[in-house]
Amino acid sequence: MSSNPLRDPRDRRLPRVPEPCALVVFGITGDLARKKLLPAVYDLANRGLLPTNFALLGFARRDWGDEAFSELARSAAREHARTPWREEVWERLANSVHFVQGSFDDDNAFDELAGALSELEGSHGIGGNAAFYLSIPPAMFPIVLKQMQRTGMAESTLGRWRRVVVEKPFGNDLASSRALNELVDSVFSADDVFRIDHYLGKETVQNLLALRFANTLFEPVWNGHHVDSVQITMAEDVGIGGRAGFYEKTGAARDVLQNHLLQLLALTAMEEPVEFSAEEIRTEKLKVLRAISVPEDKERFAVRGQYEQGWLAGQRAIGYREEEGVSPESTTETYAAVRLGVETRRWAGVPFYLRAGKRLPRRVTEIALVFKRAPHLPFAPTDTEELGHNQLVIRVQPDEGVTLKFGSKVPGSVMEVRDVAMDFLYGEQFTEASPEAYERLLLDVLLGDATLFPRNAEVEASWAVIDPLEEFWAGTTPQPYRAGEWGPRAADAMLEAEGRQWRRP
Amino acid sequence: MTTLWDTTGSAVVKELAAQRRTGGAVMSGIALTLVVVADERRVAEAEQAATAAAELHPCRLLVVVRRQIEAPMPRLDAEVQIGGRLGPGEAVVMRMYGRLGLHAESVVLPLLAADAPVVTWWHESPPELIARDALGVIADRRITDSSLTDDPVAVLQMRARDYAPGDTDLAWTRSTPWRAILASSLDSVSGRRGEPVRVEGGQIEGDPANATAQLVAGWLSSRCGCSVPVVRGERAPGPSGISGVVLRLDEDEEVRLRDDRKGGAVISQPYRPDAVVALPERTLGELVGEELRRLDPDEPYSEALAAVTGLSGLSERSACRDHVWYDPMRPDQSAQDDGDGRTSTPAAAQPAPTVPVTSEDTDEVARSGEHDDPADDSDEQQVVQSADAPSAGEVTRR
Repeated sequence: MSSNPLRDPRDRRLPRVPEPCALVVFGITGDLARKKLLPAVYDLANRGLLPTNFALLGFARRDWGDEAFSELARSAAREHARTPWREEVWERLANSVHFVQGSFDDDNAFDELAGALSELEGSHGIGGNAAFYLSIPPAMFPIVLKQMQRTGMAESTLGRWRRVVVEKPFGNDLASSRALNELVDSVFSADDVFRIDHYLGKETVQNLLALRFANTLFEPVWNGHHVDSVQITMAEDVGIGGRAGFYEKTGAARDVLQNHLLQLLALTAMEEPVEFSAEEIRTEKLKVLRAISVPEDKERFAVRGQYEQGWLAGQRAIGYREEEGVSPESTTETYAAVRLGVETRRWAGVPFYLRAGKRLPRRVTEIALVFKRAPHLPFAPTDTEELGHNQLVIRVQPDEGVTLKFGSKVPGSVMEVRDVAMDFLYGEQFTEASPEAYERLLLDVLLGDATLFPRNAEVEASWAVIDPLEEFWAGTTPQPYRAGEWGPRAADAMLEAEGRQWRRP
Repeated sequence: MTTLWDTTGSAVVKELAAQRRTGGAVMSGIALTLVVVADERRVAEAEQAATAAAELHPCRLLVVVRRQIEAPMPRLDAEVQIGGRLGPGEAVVMRMYGRLGLHAESVVLPLLAADAPVVTWWHESPPELIARDALGVIADRRITDSSLTDDPVAVLQMRARDYAPGDTDLAWTRSTPWRAILASSLDSVSGRRGEPVRVEGGQIEGDPANATAQLVAGWLSSRCGCSVPVVRGERAPGPSGISGVVLRLDEDEEVRLRDDRKGGAVISQPYRPDAVVALPERTLGELVGEELRRLDPDEPYSEALAAVTGLSGLSERSACRDHVWYDPMRPDQSAQDDGDGRTSTPAAAQPAPTVPVTSEDTDEVARSGEHDDPADDSDEQQVVQSADAPSAGEVTRR
């Protein structure tokens, strides 16, 4: 930014604002676009983070005029926006909102889109820069990408950038993700592809890097000498919602274990990056993902589960097989727990227990480092009966923050040590100021900052972890667990086999 | 909420601790202490803004209202709040009467959150020299608001003479939206050209007597090395004092920005259609919230201030101030005092110090609040409380 005399790195009040550009959303009428994308665009505008010249182009099959679309966008943004509603902000934004109707195999529609884009270049001064957001099923990717290639929309040149944003799932195994990566990379250059994993947009996940690498306190104990095991949990209380068609083919492991949980593992286990830049952070994450080992005894250390009917939060919940659109004989898992290893000097011998599931008692995502017990306790054995392992817990959501659990003397005349927790609450006080994950990630795409986006090699390395598990699970039936329980019995047995137990989050 | 009438600093500390214990799930992470110095007319406004800021930044809020410096008897009334009217955190509103106002730090110091930064914000006419207010000396960051004075531009001169790294002024904070738009419009010019932009001159249309307009002009000239005057515009500007900005660039280009009076600014630049961007009016709470985001010295502010006032070397000054004793009732004598409140008058005129000998925990006086001796202490400012006039203070709980 040295080309602008008004930019000063010391002047940290001024926000990072992208260059003039357009955002083109395919599948703008979909759920994600309405609930996340449009509100995020409004929030960005409201915070003054959109460039002076900006245009939003929606593309979908429905037959809408600019006005009808603008009305839909308005109500979507208004309903889901996080910042206060200001009509004048929306009005200004609405002037730059356009809609192109057409199906993905319609050459004319894409010609029209390309035309609209180059027209906006002049009328809205977007300077030819555009980001394409593919909010569509992966099956549609090839045809849309081919159309973009045909119309020349995907080409970045010296004077303009063109970027593409891809949502998960990035394939459903190593082979298909490779094919998808090749396809996307053949149309866009690798640097222009942004794979959104919205977990990485969360403030706590970024805070994990600050916690580890800005402090002297934690890094010295952040290794196998002191850490006994790591537990990464992503629990949801909801069922599959209306996504039966998608979920039946996917399952918990492919849906969240492959991306969110492995990314959290990578950030937890990675070495210190040489500098805080996209390239260096992604390099370190990739090294960890490649060092992950899957258990040999998969019978015991790779557990799948499926929820049966039960009670959750005071309400009756139906079983997975009774959900609409799910086969009564379905063997798709709604819960997955696995013991992974990270084969590096830092982590050799430390198990990483990952679990993800639906219809668990509460919605919570956290990373827990469980430390080893002190090698020697100078107290009488009865004094420390209630002393557990020290723990450092990073709560990703909700109640973003950090908890440190350690032993403390119970006040009184006898020596008795018991676990206490020290809490740092991150989110609650900062909620208004901290942007929503999509908002942050969208801004990063427009700025061209790829720090929080996994690279294709990372995606492939993650599939290399999941594939052997899926292979082992194929043809087996998931263990049942009641809705409202912390997963199947076999998952508890998995930790008990090594003398450990799951933390109740 | 508890209100302590005619109380002491130690009683306030104890009450705060008691409320923390009984308050249940109170906020645990305190990032800083915000000391708000307000005069009685503006307390409500200051409380509202500080509460909004406290929602963004977990802090302990200490509001100090100095009243009736000339009152014969010093007195402290305090209102202790946790998770109530004043936001999610801990808050104490203190009204100090009489000479106690000159020793406000004696009450405030024990109330500061341990080892967390202290920010002092004057929501009243800022002191001429910050060093004269001990509440400014103990702060890591000091927020003044020159727009609350009659002659803000003259006050900017005063601020520059008094400047120490860590000082900031809400007149500067108000400039952020304009500065952000100016910077991003030059981004878009340099993005189009693909090469650096030079600003060769320009002017700000608005109110030349407005401190924010002057600071933006100062910022532009400090960044671009050319003079940028503030000229009176045809239209009356908003609170930022700016109705439009013109920047003359190299290659004979010009960028014009104009406040559209509807919460936006219109940007006109060559080879691009006019664009409208948000130029929100921000509340006092949002301004203070922005100040609490960064606690390090603000170099761009010191450079802008230097450019406006023609003084230099602002950021090289020491960030530490020594307290300078100043008695507003005897302004001419103050300079001869030795700086810590002790005057050089004969010892015979000084009553004995009356801080209790025993520790606070076991002290009846500290627990119940204590009346002060009505003795004339106008020569001896150490007297805050007196042990030999026992009349229990009144404690009311709501």
